[in-house]
Amino acid sequence: MQTKLRLRPPPVSAAPGGDERRRVERRRRWLWRIAGYVFFISLWQFTSSFLVADFIVPPPAVILAEMWDIIASGQVWVHFGATLRTIAIGFAVAFALGSATGLLMGRSRWWEAFLSDWVMATLTTPGLIFALVTAMIFGLGPTGPIVAVIVTSFSYIAVNVVEGVKAVPRDLTDMARSFGRSQPQILRHVYLPFLAPYFFTATRYGFSIAWKIATLAEVIVGTAGIGFMMRQKFQEFSMQGFLAWVLLFFAFALFLERVVLQRQMKHVLRWRPEVAR
Amino acid sequence: MATIKVQDLRKEFVTDTSTVVAIENVSFEVGGHEFVSVVGPSGCGKSTLLNILSGIESATRGTVDITEGDRKAKLGYVFQSARLLPWRSVIDNLLFVQSSRGPQVRARCERYLDMVQLSHTAKQYPGQLSGGMQQRVGIARAFSIEPDLLLMDEPFSHLDAITARSLRRELHVMWQETGKTVLFVTHDVSEAVELSTRIIMLAKGGRLVADLPVELPFPRDPASDAVALARADLLRRFESLDLLAT
Amino acid sequence: MSAVAALRTFAVSPPARRVHSLLRHTRSARILSWVGFVAAWQLVVPLLPTDLVPTPSEVAVFMWNELRMDTVAPHTVYESFSLSFQRLAVGLFLAFAIGVPLGLLMGMRRWADWFLHDFVVVGLAMPSLVWALVAGMWFGFGDLAPVVTVTLAAVTFVVINVAEGVRNVPKELLDMGGAYGVGRYATIRHVIFPSLMPFFFAALRYGLANAWKGLVLAEVWASTEGAGWVIKFWYDAHRSQGIVGYALFFIIVAIFIERIVFGRLSGWVFRWRPSDDRRAPEPEPADRDEPIPAAVSAATPGRR
Repeated sequence: MQTKLRLRPPPVSAAPGGDERRRVERRRRWLWRIAGYVFFISLWQFTSSFLVADFIVPPPAVILAEMWDIIASGQVWVHFGATLRTIAIGFAVAFALGSATGLLMGRSRWWEAFLSDWVMATLTTPGLIFALVTAMIFGLGPTGPIVAVIVTSFSYIAVNVVEGVKAVPRDLTDMARSFGRSQPQILRHVYLPFLAPYFFTATRYGFSIAWKIATLAEVIVGTAGIGFMMRQKFQEFSMQGFLAWVLLFFAFALFLERVVLQRQMKHVLRWRPEVAR
Repeated sequence: MATIKVQDLRKEFVTDTSTVVAIENVSFEVGGHEFVSVVGPSGCGKSTLLNILSGIESATRGTVDITEGDRKAKLGYVFQSARLLPWRSVIDNLLFVQSSRGPQVRARCERYLDMVQLSHTAKQYPGQLSGGMQQRVGIARAFSIEPDLLLMDEPFSHLDAITARSLRRELHVMWQETGKTVLFVTHDVSEAVELSTRIIMLAKGGRLVADLPVELPFPRDPASDAVALARADLLRRFESLDLLAT
Repeated sequence: MSAVAALRTFAVSPPARRVHSLLRHTRSARILSWVGFVAAWQLVVPLLPTDLVPTPSEVAVFMWNELRMDTVAPHTVYESFSLSFQRLAVGLFLAFAIGVPLGLLMGMRRWADWFLHDFVVVGLAMPSLVWALVAGMWFGFGDLAPVVTVTLAAVTFVVINVAEGVRNVPKELLDMGGAYGVGRYATIRHVIFPSLMPFFFAALRYGLANAWKGLVLAEVWASTEGAGWVIKFWYDAHRSQGIVGYALFFIIVAIFIERIVFGRLSGWVFRWRPSDDRRAPEPEPADRDEPIPAAVSAATPGRR
């Protein structure tokens, strides 16, 4: 009777108690996960020892050693510091400009019509264009990357804030107004709680865009920073150096996004049932 | 006309923390031109029972035999929501469940669509129809495979009272004209009294508590004294069960 | 406002109020912003201390000349874009050829999901710059590096969206088919495949966006022709109107693909949708620029 398409989990039949089942499941999940890593690393190792030359696919141990060198020599702080500074300055400016623009566009149809084409245009333009144009205008040094970060992450922030302002439920603002609450009170108790998740999405998007555009701009005109090091390794044709920097970059970006940002987000959004869990 | 034999049926669900019994030792037999309603409050295992009968779920213990003469019976199923493929036209939805193709099959589908007075919508997509119309397509689909047995899972519970009323009448006429066996699951006591020749009462925990014939002549006027009395009697039985349970 | 009502307003209002009410239309806001922006750009640039910022008229002249195939670059704009599109097409084809089976596997089998999940997430979050540079180091100058970049940049979007689509095949329709004894082939063709369509669209859209960025970068660093390389050419030649002009070509192409190609295609594929809006529904997958947490939530099995 039943088509045997295994698209849903098999029916739960006489199984041991729930706790036991969950433990078994978690163990299986971790086993498969570790198997994935082991498989991938051994595939990499195998490729580098038997199939292609070391300079094309360097063995994992070599990459690890290179990463350790970068950390031990202190280079990591110099270049991560430079990139972070670019991002911090650029992002702060973009956030302020983007939020103000977003609020303006969300509250007024006229301003939305006035600005939306330009926001959309900056969203669709490849980051490379901004990186190159700012590079031509500002030349070598940190200014070009900062301006590139501002221009690109600005529109991401503005778009999200506009969405947020539009999502604030009319019935709640009407309710507050009908109870005679003042405009600042409405702003504080209705608008802000609803905008908070959008600000966070904006931050997350803007931040990840900022990372990418900052490294890209550094590849072109940087005199320091992660992107600068990537270019250097690329030009030296040092695959192990390049991969070591990419992996460090990854570890750091992951840490910032997952640990720092998400913890903040959970705190601010704790009133939402799906977060409070 | 099919025969259903259900023997000592039991169904358990294992969740993360406990084992829930949905159906406990249910046995009954249905055969011939019957309209059998399975009635009970929400969560008494009615839908699970139907799912087991149709083969969507398997039983923990016990046997289910649905036969037509000496072969397996063919089942038509009407669901609580219409469950139409939104990306296929109404007529294609009927054709989707046919076991064969050809002009006669198509003609048959069109005939049943006509029976629920929807032949003019054959080329439309389900999303263009109202909820009541979609459910009528679901009923036509069930009849269109010419099943030996029709299983219906609260087919009118999502509809407004007026639409449900006219669909009940339509269903009753189709049942009489086609002479099918129908097993009808509902939580609505009046609906059961109005339509069925027999009522099986399920209580919380999936226990079968009564199996009653309904010997009132058709057509049954829901406003008549006889129907009202039968309905009151049924509700009283459920109430006394609840008193015993607490 | 109806035409009659508009006329009546005109008839009674004094000229100043008439202008004011005209300006309040959102369309005038739009026109104003375009005119204002272009005018400001044209007027401010000559005052800047640098001569590296092009004026709109310079950009317009440049674009017109390019379209007339009058250019100092070694390839015309048509040649460059068509070469880039060929690379894009081959790379995307490979990405789907690899990504669809993997996505199906991950959606249907939990062990495959556990096995591959982390690598897919890393792939989603990887800046396309990295793919471009790695491919450049591996394959040198030529067609291979851009094609591989496109594949690498798009494949994880395909995998994650197909896997999510498989998990979202409506169970009640599968059960319905099962209850009626519908065969395996018909179930795949009429239930599973149509319900996967929105996810294929999402895969194509996000994969394409990311692949396009990667392609341009790969052409900059690991190629000697193609649209990305020409941008680099104008950069090296210090002709900023070339960069801005090519950026505008990019935007025009992007709008064309989004509005005409995707719009038409999804209007046809989703013609069964009752609403007027027949654009591909957004199944909330990893977004085009991928923030890591979004990718994770899209990849975490939801309905298990």
